[in-house]
Amino acid sequence: MSALTRLASFAAVAGRLFRSGRARAAGEGGVRHAGGGVHIEPRYRQFPQLTRTQVIWGETLSAIMWFWILWRFWHDSEAVLGHFPYPDPSQWTDEELGIPPDDED
Amino acid sequence: MHSSMILMTMIPLLTPIIITLIKPNNNLLYPHYVKLAIIYAFTVSMLSMTMFIFTGQESMISNWHWMTIQTIELSLNFKMDFFSMMFTPVALFVTWSIVEFSMWYMSSDPNINQFLKYLLIFLVTMLILITANNLFQLFIGWEGMGIMSFLLISWWHGRTDANTAALQAILYNRIGDIGFILAMTWFFLYSNSWDFQQMFILDRTPNSFPLMSLLLAATGKSAQFGLHPWLPSAMEGPTPVSALLHSSTMVVAGVFLIIRFHPMMENNSLIQTLTLSMGAITTLFTAICALTQNDLKKIVAFSTSSQLGLMMVTIGINQPHLAFLHICTHAFFKAMLFLSAGSIIHSLNNEQDIRKMGGLFKTLPFTSSSLIIGSFALMGMPFLTGFYSKDLIIETANTSYTNAWALTTTLVATSLTAMYSIRIIFFALAGYPRFTTLILINENNPKLMNPINRLALGSIFAGFLISNCVPPTSHPQVTMPWHLKLTALGVTILGLLVATELSLMTNSMKLSTPLKTFYFSNMLGFYSATTHRLNPHSSLTMSQNLTSALLDLFWLEKSMPKMTTQTQISASTTSSTQKGLIKLYFLSFFIPPMLALLLTI
Amino acid sequence: MAVARAGVLGIRWLQRASRNVVPLGARTAFHLNKDMLPGPYPRTPEERAAAAKKYNMRVEDYEPYPDDGMGYGDYPKLPDRSQHERDPWYDWDQPDLRLNWGETMHWDIDMYTRNRVDTSPTPISWDDMCKQLFSFVAFMVFMFWVGHKYPVYQPVAPKQYPYNDLYLERGGNPSEEPKPVVHYEI
Repeated sequence: MSALTRLASFAAVAGRLFRSGRARAAGEGGVRHAGGGVHIEPRYRQFPQLTRTQVIWGETLSAIMWFWILWRFWHDSEAVLGHFPYPDPSQWTDEELGIPPDDED
Repeated sequence: MHSSMILMTMIPLLTPIIITLIKPNNNLLYPHYVKLAIIYAFTVSMLSMTMFIFTGQESMISNWHWMTIQTIELSLNFKMDFFSMMFTPVALFVTWSIVEFSMWYMSSDPNINQFLKYLLIFLVTMLILITANNLFQLFIGWEGMGIMSFLLISWWHGRTDANTAALQAILYNRIGDIGFILAMTWFFLYSNSWDFQQMFILDRTPNSFPLMSLLLAATGKSAQFGLHPWLPSAMEGPTPVSALLHSSTMVVAGVFLIIRFHPMMENNSLIQTLTLSMGAITTLFTAICALTQNDLKKIVAFSTSSQLGLMMVTIGINQPHLAFLHICTHAFFKAMLFLSAGSIIHSLNNEQDIRKMGGLFKTLPFTSSSLIIGSFALMGMPFLTGFYSKDLIIETANTSYTNAWALTTTLVATSLTAMYSIRIIFFALAGYPRFTTLILINENNPKLMNPINRLALGSIFAGFLISNCVPPTSHPQVTMPWHLKLTALGVTILGLLVATELSLMTNSMKLSTPLKTFYFSNMLGFYSATTHRLNPHSSLTMSQNLTSALLDLFWLEKSMPKMTTQTQISASTTSSTQKGLIKLYFLSFFIPPMLALLLTI
Repeated sequence: MAVARAGVLGIRWLQRASRNVVPLGARTAFHLNKDMLPGPYPRTPEERAAAAKKYNMRVEDYEPYPDDGMGYGDYPKLPDRSQHERDPWYDWDQPDLRLNWGETMHWDIDMYTRNRVDTSPTPISWDDMCKQLFSFVAFMVFMFWVGHKYPVYQPVAPKQYPYNDLYLERGGNPSEEPKPVVHYEI
């Protein structure tokens, strides 16, 4: 849930940045957005331009990872915790081993 | 069908190389050709891999008789067994992503076409090495990679550091090649064959000499302890080169060689012990070095070296298939770690020092996610790619009859993995920004995002897919005590906790001069500091004096002119009766009168 | 100006001509000519001053190699410092060698270039470095030997020994035969 709220706040921040970038682009013309070329217009003491896709996809990747980990853990926790208990020979009963009681002679 | 599919994989890869021979290599679309060729080869190799998984049919292509050297017959011989069939798609997938990434990273380089050509030749030589069925063909791939790594590491040859790194790489690899050539010679003499099947059939338990030579070769190529310093130095090359060299190709070639020769090694306990010890000391030593490095790429490089040590350990406990599994899974997340590092470095205007990063979590969300995924996979987070091989390796090492100290060092090194991975995340991603105020941060480019994306998904799912598709090749450990089962996870968590604890502790501690142990770690265990100074200094001083002064003094002065005069003098003094002993002569004149006097009296 | 240029051209022509006229066998045995070689060992203060001036050095800094027949002549003995130690941020005329134009090079300059011998100072001394490295390696090798002697493994059953599971050796009563344990019935 917290991831979702964080994601929402991120999206909001990114959206605001994106809008401002677009507005400036419309006003001044020739402002390069993040993306497209390899190098961007340097920014001085400003938060870098983030696009919405980039933020969302970053969060999605993490979400996929955690989903995969937790989902696998739910279904296949034995892979981490051990499939079978290790046999302890001293705990084996005579009955299991098919040994008749000692007094049966 | 099978073999034609393999040829369909190989030949398209060669076309972009051949094109450059026919016409000048200045086409703007050339990078796309390279990428397309690799994508095509990847798709076809996926098909053949699927066929292989379902049919389990190993094959050998031997169509062209190459040459006959005395009694040995060489033919172009490709081996399509489990290892080559599984590894080819992995290598192609990783290289595809790296090539696409380098189209972004190197886009301002004037010689980008040549760069991509080098990358492609590098890939081709690796595939030659993997699919080779005789030692000579393997040697071609082996040396091809050595040469291409030299060219790629010294890509920015205007920088002396890059040249030094490339020279180091090629020299250390030459030391390894001595071993390779010794092994080739031995097999030529005693097996009269370079084909793997024949060598293995003839010698199930050969003596240790060729195996030692092969181990030396692997030590050089895979940067094991003693011949390791070239690997961190190779970080002077461009980041895509580091990604390609240190993930899926060059450095695993040495391990791969040992895996190929495993039928000979499995019965030789001496070589097993040596491999185990070598791997264990490497994995610990390089993990210690990684702890205090400040260069982002160097940390990742040392982690590669540590993982290579782990692979060697796995071979040392007689589990080559596990080592191979680790090669395959390691390729994904290590390539992605390098690409993420490249993205960060590019965004911070070529700043590699993690102390000057910080806070990138907010500014580079996509790269941060992938870096975290890569680090988790490297640590062996359950159900990510690294887990499937690393967990198995540690469990098998725990349950097998093995060297106690080697096991301990391996476990310690594994927990150190978590430490330095967390250190990267802590310094680069968390905290407040410490980089310059002029911001060039931009990761929103499909040529950057797509490769990292693919590799990130690979780092999450590939381990599951590979370990589920691979037919079981050795008897799996069914059960083990609970504490051993949890060791793999436990040591990782331990490392994580210690790292967090230490980083919290630094907040409240006063600044002090570092301990000597810090320098041991920070200066790479003094290995390069001592050997790289002593050996060149002594040998160069000696040769310098020999060539410039002593040779002249000896040959031109001492041997001929002075020698002639001396022999003349001594010869003349010995041959002539005149010795210049005047007093003696006078004394001898004095003798006859004395005698006469004595006789007459 | 024109005269000077004509003079230069004339000298060059003369050099070329002389090179053509003089037969091949008469060239020096190697490529260094007299101007490139160091002069004779300076003995008087005047000769020292002249040599220092020749090598672009101050007389106080000038110190020739000892005249022990190794053929150094008047070449100055510069400190054994590699090019690593020079300032990387200074605007050198030859940045990759970190040299200025006309600067006297060390006699063994090709040993002290940046991709060969490094003499830059280290935080801890050479002896300490060697000691730590070799003790690390020695310790590891020793411990591998120990580990090889005492390996770890997971026993699946208690170890069995001969002589009735070492009955006597474990302090059993010799007069009394141990009761054989039979877990099966045939």
